[in-house]
Amino acid sequence: MRPLETLTYSESGEVAEIVLNRPRMNMQMVRELTAVCDHLEDTSACKVAVFRGRDGVFSEGIDFEEFRPDQGMDIHGFNKWEKLCVRIERLPKVTIAAIDGVVRGGGVQLALVCDARLATSSSTMQLDEVHQGFLPGMATFRLGKYVGLGNAKRLIMQCPIIDADEACALGILDEVCDDLDIAVGATIAAFGPIHTVSVALARRLLNESYAAPFEHAIGNFLAAQHRAITQSAFLDTIAKARESDT
Amino acid sequence: MLSNRPRILSVGTANPPERYTQEEVLAKYRMPNKMVRSLFKSGHIRTRHLMLPEPDEDGIPRESQSQLLAKHRKGAMMMGKEAIDKALSQLDLTTADIDYLAVISSTGFMLPGLTAMFIKHLGFRIDCSRVDIVGMGCNAGLNGLNPVAAWASANPGKNALMVCCETNSALYVYDEEIGNGVVNSLFGDGCAAVVVRADPMDERYFAPRILGFVSHIIPDTWDAMHYNWRDSHGKFAFNLARDVPYVLGTHAETPVTKLLNTFGLKRRHISHWLVHSGGKKVIDAIKYTVGITEHDVRHTVGVLRDYGNLGSGSFLFSYERLMQEGKVRRGDYGVMMTMGPGSTVETALLRW
Repeated sequence: MRPLETLTYSESGEVAEIVLNRPRMNMQMVRELTAVCDHLEDTSACKVAVFRGRDGVFSEGIDFEEFRPDQGMDIHGFNKWEKLCVRIERLPKVTIAAIDGVVRGGGVQLALVCDARLATSSSTMQLDEVHQGFLPGMATFRLGKYVGLGNAKRLIMQCPIIDADEACALGILDEVCDDLDIAVGATIAAFGPIHTVSVALARRLLNESYAAPFEHAIGNFLAAQHRAITQSAFLDTIAKARESDT
Repeated sequence: MLSNRPRILSVGTANPPERYTQEEVLAKYRMPNKMVRSLFKSGHIRTRHLMLPEPDEDGIPRESQSQLLAKHRKGAMMMGKEAIDKALSQLDLTTADIDYLAVISSTGFMLPGLTAMFIKHLGFRIDCSRVDIVGMGCNAGLNGLNPVAAWASANPGKNALMVCCETNSALYVYDEEIGNGVVNSLFGDGCAAVVVRADPMDERYFAPRILGFVSHIIPDTWDAMHYNWRDSHGKFAFNLARDVPYVLGTHAETPVTKLLNTFGLKRRHISHWLVHSGGKKVIDAIKYTVGITEHDVRHTVGVLRDYGNLGSGSFLFSYERLMQEGKVRRGDYGVMMTMGPGSTVETALLRW
């Protein structure tokens, strides 16, 4: 991986940690996050990827510095961002957003594509895009699945700042904690044993669950289940069950 | 080096004129078996082009093996001529310009074969080299494209033509067996022809180079799909084992990974997937094992919906739709993938 500026990447055992070094996301950060995805997919033996912020900010969302209205506005950067979100959503790792402090706009979008979302009790969350005259990306597609359509309309159209407890009650956060490191460790432990194939298949079916009609979903499930039951993880489970029977 | 690789310059497709919805086929014949009727109503296939016989007064169609073989010849001649004309006319070529003719078919045995018949009737030169690939099933389009591409590489500037010609309604057997119900509700008639040529300097056409092939066979499942003589019927009948779509899907990952590794590519570098429209289950299986999306198989699903399983030329119908869609960009990579008896997964890598 080339040297990173907007991120700090580290690996410890089975856990990769990605720290967002700047409070707002610019195109360099999008490129560097994409490079991190390449590394996680192609090279890294880690099974978990944890996203964090720093200095009391997870992320405040998109950086407006790079927009140049005098040179015309285009959708290219937003398209890159959405592609990155899909990459993260489909990473062959368990993904965790570990939030300590402010998370806004694109930061919330990043959290929504992760498999688990944890925050310290003093954290606050806001999707502020509509008040600023634009849209919170495909959070318009994802958020309702977590919180229901009514709550999603309120959060996206009224842009309230909500605290961690409310976000947790709504289902956006899995857990509110005092010590983020302890909570992240406990969450990683709860995911174990991590079988990358069954994790990826389960997550894909869940992500598709609200969008596909049942007739498609059942076919997809059977295909995914056939793949899962022919993998070593399930065959080991069967072997152990048989041993304990005899 | 890659610039010398042969390219697929054009594609033409054809079907018999008669088109049936699944409901129309059910209405045409007496098919009381509820399981068979539900196969027709599963919804993944809406229409198919078929050469169907009229039923006797009891609602049962009766075709002898010799009538089925005559249908195979008639279908090949009719669809073959149209698909070949379409593929050649795009390049301002005629059959007299073709130096190598490969015909792929599994819907009837003939001796002499379809290449000889096409040369006799369609104006190919008598010194046209030829090969008939017979009886390899749905995967055979890529088993054919492999030697066609090799011939084109060895003969730069010369035109090779591959024709996948499947009159699947010449395989039909009517009885109350679920196996034949599967066949009768799934397969459709269709023919696809492609012109392949290696000419490094010719930039007139926006056409993909064929970079390489990887094959994969699963000998443990060699009888999972078979076409055998049935004394009880006095004809051949096709049979598909129950779990074979998922087994094929599970194994599809191996040749794809090998193919991509050969060229130092990852899954995310592939923009276009041209997967054989074998049936709903095998398409689902490939989505979840190869790790591709509903969008990646949109043409595969669409061709299945509109034509049923067209056998060896099916993936070329998807290829035709992809090219007509106009979204392919220079430099894009594509993977062709066909699955069939053996059990077999065949793959090829393309680059535009």
